[in-house]
Amino acid sequence: MKFTIERTALLKSLGHVQRVVERRTTIPILSNVLLSAEKGGLSLTATDMELSVVETLPADIGAKGQATAPAHTLYDIVRKLPEGAQIAFDYDAESARLGLSAGRSRFALSTLPVEEFPALSGDQFSHSFTLEAASLRNLIEHTSFAISVEETRYYLNGIFLHATENGSADVLRAVATDGHRLAQVEMPLPEGATGMPGVILPRKAVLELGKLMEEMSDPVEVGLSETRVRFTTADAILTSKLIDGTFPDYGRVIPTKNDKMLVVNRREFAEAVDRVSTISIEKSRAVKLGLAPGKLLLSASSEESGTASEELAVKYDAEPIEIGFNARYLLDIAQQIEGEDIELMLADASSPTLLRDLAEGSALYVLMPMRV
Amino acid sequence: MTIRLLPEAIVNRIAAGEVIERPASVVKELVENAIDAGARRIEIVLANGGHNLISVTDDGTGMTETELALSIERHATSKLTDDSLQQIATLGFRGEALPSIGAAGRLTITSRTRNAASAFSISVEGSRKSEVMPASHPVGTRVELRDLFFATPARLKFLKTPQTELHHAVDVVRRLAMAHPETAFQLSDEKRSVLQLHANQGELFDTRAERLAQILGREFTENALPIHAAREGMTLSGYAGLPTFNRANARMQYFFVNGRPVRDALFHGAVRAAYQDLLARDRHPVLALFLEIPPERVDVNVHPAKAEVRFREAGLVRGLFVGALRHALHEAGHRAASTVSQVALGAFRPETPPVMTEGHAPACALNERAPAYRPRLPGTEAPHARPEAAGEDVGEATTDHPLGAARAQLHETYIVAQTEDGIVFVDQHAAHERIVLERMLEGLQANNVARQILLIPEVVEMTEAKAARVLERADELAELGLIVESFGPGAVAVREVPAILGDVNPQGLIQDLADDLEEFEDGASLRDRLNHVAATMACHGSVRAGRRLTADEMNALLRQMETTPHAGQCNHGRPTYVELKLQDIERLFGRR
Repeated sequence: MKFTIERTALLKSLGHVQRVVERRTTIPILSNVLLSAEKGGLSLTATDMELSVVETLPADIGAKGQATAPAHTLYDIVRKLPEGAQIAFDYDAESARLGLSAGRSRFALSTLPVEEFPALSGDQFSHSFTLEAASLRNLIEHTSFAISVEETRYYLNGIFLHATENGSADVLRAVATDGHRLAQVEMPLPEGATGMPGVILPRKAVLELGKLMEEMSDPVEVGLSETRVRFTTADAILTSKLIDGTFPDYGRVIPTKNDKMLVVNRREFAEAVDRVSTISIEKSRAVKLGLAPGKLLLSASSEESGTASEELAVKYDAEPIEIGFNARYLLDIAQQIEGEDIELMLADASSPTLLRDLAEGSALYVLMPMRV
Repeated sequence: MTIRLLPEAIVNRIAAGEVIERPASVVKELVENAIDAGARRIEIVLANGGHNLISVTDDGTGMTETELALSIERHATSKLTDDSLQQIATLGFRGEALPSIGAAGRLTITSRTRNAASAFSISVEGSRKSEVMPASHPVGTRVELRDLFFATPARLKFLKTPQTELHHAVDVVRRLAMAHPETAFQLSDEKRSVLQLHANQGELFDTRAERLAQILGREFTENALPIHAAREGMTLSGYAGLPTFNRANARMQYFFVNGRPVRDALFHGAVRAAYQDLLARDRHPVLALFLEIPPERVDVNVHPAKAEVRFREAGLVRGLFVGALRHALHEAGHRAASTVSQVALGAFRPETPPVMTEGHAPACALNERAPAYRPRLPGTEAPHARPEAAGEDVGEATTDHPLGAARAQLHETYIVAQTEDGIVFVDQHAAHERIVLERMLEGLQANNVARQILLIPEVVEMTEAKAARVLERADELAELGLIVESFGPGAVAVREVPAILGDVNPQGLIQDLADDLEEFEDGASLRDRLNHVAATMACHGSVRAGRRLTADEMNALLRQMETTPHAGQCNHGRPTYVELKLQDIERLFGRR
């Protein structure tokens, strides 16, 4: 195998695939990335057995062939090479070393046999459909923050993606929750997704997908089966196992009868919450929202630091109410809102509160209050 | 096979199996009888670990001729006067011990009352009774048991070595002796006296301290806090060891209910709760606690050997224990065990032991090397001391404060302070961490624990008994920020969790709690988790080792330690400071 490639393109793709590779693994081959030089160009493959990413990029192929090399080392080398460098790769099968040269730098990386690299099973996908990059990004971006990181409730460690109905419209809906808050984003159901199984995309796949989607505008093809999902773009394929579990019946926790409506400017609200919560006890970060017609009083107190309060002018005309929240949760949600105003629908100090972007109707958030 | 009534000999042998397990059980029954008879002096002799002979002699009230004949009948006792099991004030009451012992070996009882002209004796051999015969004996009773288990060879095979059996017997006597300081005990084997405890006269509390010192060592009473608390007719007294005086197992925890040694999970759980966050989970305090409770509120008739009891109001008893211990520990403030400084002193030994000649102060022997002196290597410095700080402080009265005035900081980690009669070394990180933690816990309590309500209440399934136990403590858990409610039999719904735990799995939390409640009757795991979060925060928020402190900062730390509860040990029970008394230092230099 022999090829030459431009540094910038390689760095970007390596950056994607090396993230899949775990820093510590008991299976040595999983620390390596598979390089395949083919007619169309170079493809890089990395996997942790759950998730795999294949990226293809143009290269000047001298001789076809395959080799594996330590992913993180390779990435670090390429990163440190000067910008604009042309990197020449040359695999010597006899010494099993991958030669790499650029300018006056020479590297010979030890490799592992290509045959050891796990072959990715060519799954049959029962459903496949196409999503606009922007729509897919919207689905995952606004829900991923609510994914639980607590590992024993594994079924919450991902985004629940499923087809359902909203009123009369068929929608594709993404939901994530950690038991304290919930985020839900939906879009019209794309063609081909009708009858798709509800699946839970694991957190790691969601994060990698987010990275891949960062500067992408092309449509993405999604393939689904009961156990796997595949996202295919023009030059990358991400395949992941799905979380085998039952996502809780989230529908019943989304309040429908909350009648106290509060509309507040997103930026003012987020900044005030952030300021006031400086006072509250680390970790719990409790802030209290005191509502009276036309105004919102944010306050926090802790035995150690003292008290803080800030008043905001808001749209509110229901009866006065006092309710506590975790400031971090409020800020997380405020960050998802793209429009100018947030709408909060409240019931009482112990019931779930519904939050929405006033400008954009596809997303909604549910937040459980805190007793302070 | 037809059903038939078993002959009495077999009945007795079966009953003996329950009560008489090993020589120590015989010793227990007989010594309890002696105590119940009001003995002031009890002598116990064991030959060959009790296998060949067990003899217990007391100077109690004794028995008359007729009583003596009755005593070896099953269910005959002098201890229940009105046929009611509600008011048991004696150690025994079942009327089973003597017949059981009689079924297990060759038993001879000799007894004389104060008014009798002579003593009488009776003997039983494998349930065959002899006539009552006149004998010679002073006032009191002597019970002799030879050839234990000769009638039940199966039991015989399970006996351990004489040494082990003797050890068990000694343990039994020690326990009973702790509760009865007014009685003298002597236990000997064929050759020597193994345990000798004099009767301690005088006021109850002092005699008990003296007896405990004899049994558990002087070290214990010196490092223990007196406990005295009363609540709703119950009294708890005794001694509880300082947290820094700890052991790797709970074997050195002695509990007594109305003078009866008992082992009960309830007590261990209460102790664990009281010492929590003062001790690491695998360390155990040493204590001896005595509970006096009206007999009708405790059921001792649970276990044939009466090692377990049941309380009518278990929660109340637990509360009394935790409250009393907490209070005492709180009062103790920053006291650390003197054993700590003993250990430190041990480490201080000069490299060459001074040549001690009898009657002589260790004069400077000519041939003695000067081990403490080593030429300083180039480039190394003496430990960083702060002479300027010391200079400023000389004027300050050191006598005002228990922890004295800071004199120097060594290795940027330890503070050296001078007190009126000694030196104090303080581990600055451990000490400050404790102060920050105490402040934080206080804040948590004052503010109520903030609770995050769950979006989807978590239903946790467990056995019905476990669920009931969790729900029983729902109020207590609510104070710690955990709201649970019943969700049908064998299930608990978690509605709210403490906010500082963050993204926590309620399922795991509740299961752990239920296990804890089952084992220790105490929800330690929740408090543990809260404390762990607080401790991590405290650790990050406190002065680390390696930071240079000014004299003012050091003094401020010392003053804070004096006013902070539990400042004598860090969160894991390690001492935060060590005090060396001047006399100890003088001893080091051979001045005393």
